[in-house]
Amino acid sequence: MSWLIHELRLILRSRLSLCALLLLLALAAAAVGIGLHEVARQHQAIERVGPLQEQDAAAVAARYADTGDPGSHAYYTFYGTWDAPSDAAFLALGLRDVAPFVLRVRALGLQSQLYEGETFNPELALSGRFDFAFVLIYLAPLFVIALLHDLVSGERQSGRLRLLLSIADGGSLWRRRVALRYALLFACLAVPVVAGMLLSGASMAAMGVVLAVVASYLAFWCGLSLLVAARNWPTVANATALMGGWVLLTLVLPTLANVALTRAIPVHQGVDLMLAQRQAVHGAWEIPREDTMRRFYDSHPEWRHSAPLPDGFHWKWYLAFHQLGDESVADEVSAYRAGLQARQEWTARLGWLLPGVSAQALLHRVADTDLRAQLDYQDRIAGFHREIRQFYYPYLFEDRPIGARDFADRPVYEASPGPSGSVGLHALLALGLCWGIGLWGVLCAGRLGLR
Amino acid sequence: MNADTGNAVTASAVDGGVEAGKGAGNVLEASSVEAGYGERSILRQLDLRIGPGEIYALLGGNGAGKTTTLSLFLGFVEPTAGRVRVDGFDPVAQPVQARRRLAYIPENVALYEHLSARENVAYLLDLAGQYEGDEAIDRALAAAGLQGSAFDRRVGGFSKGMRQKVAIALALARSVPALLLDEPTSGLDPQATSEFNRLLDVLRDRGIAVLMVTHDLLSAADVADRIGFLDGGRLLEEVAADGEDRFNVRALHRRYAEQAA
Repeated sequence: MSWLIHELRLILRSRLSLCALLLLLALAAAAVGIGLHEVARQHQAIERVGPLQEQDAAAVAARYADTGDPGSHAYYTFYGTWDAPSDAAFLALGLRDVAPFVLRVRALGLQSQLYEGETFNPELALSGRFDFAFVLIYLAPLFVIALLHDLVSGERQSGRLRLLLSIADGGSLWRRRVALRYALLFACLAVPVVAGMLLSGASMAAMGVVLAVVASYLAFWCGLSLLVAARNWPTVANATALMGGWVLLTLVLPTLANVALTRAIPVHQGVDLMLAQRQAVHGAWEIPREDTMRRFYDSHPEWRHSAPLPDGFHWKWYLAFHQLGDESVADEVSAYRAGLQARQEWTARLGWLLPGVSAQALLHRVADTDLRAQLDYQDRIAGFHREIRQFYYPYLFEDRPIGARDFADRPVYEASPGPSGSVGLHALLALGLCWGIGLWGVLCAGRLGLR
Repeated sequence: MNADTGNAVTASAVDGGVEAGKGAGNVLEASSVEAGYGERSILRQLDLRIGPGEIYALLGGNGAGKTTTLSLFLGFVEPTAGRVRVDGFDPVAQPVQARRRLAYIPENVALYEHLSARENVAYLLDLAGQYEGDEAIDRALAAAGLQGSAFDRRVGGFSKGMRQKVAIALALARSVPALLLDEPTSGLDPQATSEFNRLLDVLRDRGIAVLMVTHDLLSAADVADRIGFLDGGRLLEEVAADGEDRFNVRALHRRYAEQAA
């Protein structure tokens, strides 16, 4: 292993290389630190929700204890829901930046409540957060390029190439240099990640997937650098070609693909669903109450036995038209989710061509911060919201008063911190193509020489 | 060397068979070699044999094929005809064996500027698979004439002469039987040239076959055992040192000038 010591000395004595490696290490460590801090902040926010929620419910109970009015309880009581970050969420905060991870809902129409917070943190939706995924996908390739763009051309331009090739086989020389640079770059990224995952208690499986993503993505960029180096261009031409590749693969093509997907699969915004649902709800004030109740009983015959509406306002009518408002946009909701999922599937397919997209999707999946995680959270909210309605409806439709003891039995949202997301085999296979490029580059390294 | 007397020069055409090599076999050997780059033919019917402990200077104008001759032994250029051997090994077909028997010192010795002389030699020895510790390197650096105080200095501040000494030390540490020198005295001052030539004497004493390509007739005459004149890819003439005065520099210069014309 003396070659390792000599090559290490060679690269670590080079101020530029050492600075690049230290900078990458610092960026990765900072990204992991920022991610861990953000996840801790989210955990703290979620922990604060519980006691505040209890205070809020106690205030409602105290205010309406004497009335026994289930409608007031239903209207004024908010229920906290939350989506605790996974153990690996610090790596890729993903949609947790733009979608709420805490949502208070009540027994009224759900759809308007789901999307009220959709434009939360819009400035982060534009630039994305500085997390490990950002460092890996966008910045790490620049460091690969910095360390490898002049692998051979640098030796040629400095006049050492003939001397080196008179001593050693070029192929093995370049391969050992690339292997060392690859290992150092991997270490700069992996060490902070492993430390962060150990701190956060992430599973070994998640750690394995994340390290595989890092290794594969670096292999792609190292392979690409070797393929460019195999052209035997001057250093400036190599750097220009690789920077062009970086711009194309990480910025231009993903953006164009996103635009194409957006056009090919048009999806309404969640806020449109909210407006449509609200329009249906507000429209209910303008139509005969009996019509509303008839429609409600048609879809919910279990409450058909309820007494006719008395004169004046009644909460069961109010909650019924809220539920009808949800149901009136059910098709749009399905289409909205199907559209989002279709885009996600096309994005996964795109990962077969664009390693950055594939790596990013995998990191977000492991971190459980992708679209699937967001939709899962919405599903959990919807399930809990059904429980809330089912809790109040017997009181409302059977005209039963609700007492303090009854109110104490109200549903409670329970969700333990989620494990890391599971990753599909096809996603890993897509990433496996990176190794194909990497190995191709290594094979081409044998051709690098004096031409 | 005697510049005034003419009887010290013996010359004959290559085909006439100047005795090649001092030892039992030739360390560097090119037989009827044709070589070039693509369609462009550079070397034509080159015959060259250099034995152990022999210093051979190859003179010629620009484009004569001197550097291509070196590339031939280094395996950088594949002959289209003929045969090339380094201590019996084909540099193209048996590159690993040939490389282990050959050291090369380019015209401008470029080293890793941020490493010391010792670290440079250690790195390059390791690359050759011949690193055996720093003591051997120190001995080689000393034998190459580098001051001890320079061993641990970064080579970024080294003169050309000092860099050449580092490269010679590398060759000594590798114990190779053959050494190729590309314009070794170009850019050296007279004292450094003299020092370098004495270093070549050391190499000769160690039995190393040296092929140097150069424009420097005086230096070649000072140190070489044979001088070959290359022109248009053909080895036109070889002159061997004769007696104590070795070469008649004036006669050599006249020949060189005639061939250049």
